[in-house]
Amino acid sequence: MKNETRVNLIKQGAIWAFIVVELIFFSVAGEFLSVSDKAFMNFDNMLLLLKQSAPIGIIALGMTIVMINGNIDLSVGATFALAAIVLLDSMTWPFMEALGNWAIPLAWFFALTTGVVLGAINGLIVWKTGVDAFIVTLGSMLGFRGLVFMYNGEQPTSHLNWTLVDFAEAQFLGLHTATWFLLGAALLLWLLMTKTVHGRNAYAIGNNRDAAVNAGIRVGPHFLWNFMLIGFLAALSAVVFYSESGSVNPNDGMLYELWAITAVVLGGTKLSGGYGSIVSTLGGVIAIQLLRKGLGHIGADTETVNLVIGLILIAVLFLDRQLNRKGKEELRT
Amino acid sequence: MKITTKLALACTTAMLGTAAHGEAHSSTYTIGITQNNVGVDSYQTTYEQAFIAAAEANENVDVVVLDAGGDVARQIAQMEDLIQQDVDAIIIWPTNGEAVIPAVRKASQAEIPVIVTNSNIAEEGFDFVASFSGPDNITQGSRSAEIMCDRFKDLGIETEAQVVQISGQPGYTTAIERAKGFEDRLPEVCPDVTLVETQPGDWNREKSQQVMEAFLVKYDDIDGVYAGDDNMGVGALNAAFAAGRAEGITFVGATNFAVGYEAMGRGEYWGSIYQSPVDDAEAALQTAIDVLDGEDIPFLNYFDTPKITQDNMDEFTKPVF
Repeated sequence: MKNETRVNLIKQGAIWAFIVVELIFFSVAGEFLSVSDKAFMNFDNMLLLLKQSAPIGIIALGMTIVMINGNIDLSVGATFALAAIVLLDSMTWPFMEALGNWAIPLAWFFALTTGVVLGAINGLIVWKTGVDAFIVTLGSMLGFRGLVFMYNGEQPTSHLNWTLVDFAEAQFLGLHTATWFLLGAALLLWLLMTKTVHGRNAYAIGNNRDAAVNAGIRVGPHFLWNFMLIGFLAALSAVVFYSESGSVNPNDGMLYELWAITAVVLGGTKLSGGYGSIVSTLGGVIAIQLLRKGLGHIGADTETVNLVIGLILIAVLFLDRQLNRKGKEELRT
Repeated sequence: MKITTKLALACTTAMLGTAAHGEAHSSTYTIGITQNNVGVDSYQTTYEQAFIAAAEANENVDVVVLDAGGDVARQIAQMEDLIQQDVDAIIIWPTNGEAVIPAVRKASQAEIPVIVTNSNIAEEGFDFVASFSGPDNITQGSRSAEIMCDRFKDLGIETEAQVVQISGQPGYTTAIERAKGFEDRLPEVCPDVTLVETQPGDWNREKSQQVMEAFLVKYDDIDGVYAGDDNMGVGALNAAFAAGRAEGITFVGATNFAVGYEAMGRGEYWGSIYQSPVDDAEAALQTAIDVLDGEDIPFLNYFDTPKITQDNMDEFTKPVF
């Protein structure tokens, strides 16, 4: 038991230790390599870091829950783009324009509803057909992206609303709007996963689905709720981000699913389900954004980021495997 | 914990190694650039290489070279980082001409001049931009008209020639401006030449081939084809070949592509406009330096895109794209 706690501690502490290493490395390297006079560990820069983590971060939080379930959602990038289009396009509809700035909350509502509906489609198919979530969401990733292109062809969908931009750029108690959404979502989901029956069921299903069914957990509806949740979060991410930028390219959000999964795995969540934590995912997201930011700061090629993250990802999985094997061996003796 | 630290250290050392060639020495200007998507095509790749080379050749300039990888979110984050690093000027190749406007506004609020390169941002953002450095599409259009007209004069058909136009994707500024430049200039230089019809080819070779097939059926006499870029021009050329009518037609394009250059070499395609990514990159850097020097530069600061025809094509190297 004591051993298990220690292993858990290492697993959950690892990502934060890595973040500390990154901070030290970029601070030191920045002194020598950066053309900027400003320190990397500048307070404003760290606030910016949190803000820039938000778009992928909010999605990754949802991905954590889906992955704890033992599922995966590859369609989040397309959901993100479609919600963004609904957000921006709905504000140009005549009745919405007549509402003035009251159109903004309504447009948010439309976008979030879009996300929930798309998530529900995934969830229902997974529930009713029993097809693996990987395949179902692979299909919907392509399908939803097709809808994105059908909406406006290859043209960007644009609507620049300065009230919205000012809101999104605002800083309350020092933190940017996007950061509040990220931290708020993280807090709520952490509560959901640790303090509620739904959260405990998520772990139980991921650990052993048959046992969970036998224990009377209704797995299908449980999946449906989680897919609706991740759809909602993908749309929320779009709402937060596009409030600030006002134009969406039809290929926006591509590869976001992979970045989100990377962040989740970096945070120690198991691909096979049953194990993971919201807080560690937050760490994984910050670690990725820190790498992007830091490598830019010291003047390295942007492509280096991908190489380094790839290496780290493999290292993390290897480490995870080693720790788990050790745990099992010690149990046997 | 120990293994993690070791691994992390190994990775960070790897990063240090790759990062070591970015040197830091004190100099007059620090200029940051965030590019659209290096590696997606060779124009952008060549642009980046030329930009870095130009910056290295100038000892008064340090550059921070970033690439958004086509991702708007990453480009906005890079803009914020450059503002945070307090660079002297920012050059941006927009991933999306509208989405980056708020980020550009932030830079202008931080009193950092922003130079837009290659393709301009939407008009709503003009107030926040110091200068645009890129090709002048209207001039490109009118130069294509001149190439076409000169050719007709050489052939002695400038009094009765009929021309069709295949334009770029509707809605694109580049497409609209090139068509406008061509349509305005042609009657000035060759008043008796008639432009019989214009159809969009959407920057797409196959689409342009179909458009040209329709033109060939509809008109018995076509003496010239103007295409918004060489890609579409070559599509039209293929259609004319299939119909056995390529011989008597003068093909003129814009943005000389490698396929267009090769077709010119074979004597099938007459002329185009040469747009070099090297000139594009050097112009962007020079514009940024001029802005910082306080020089009076026009808001739309174009670099030269010369005419290229079968007659003078050996003065130009084959385009990389």
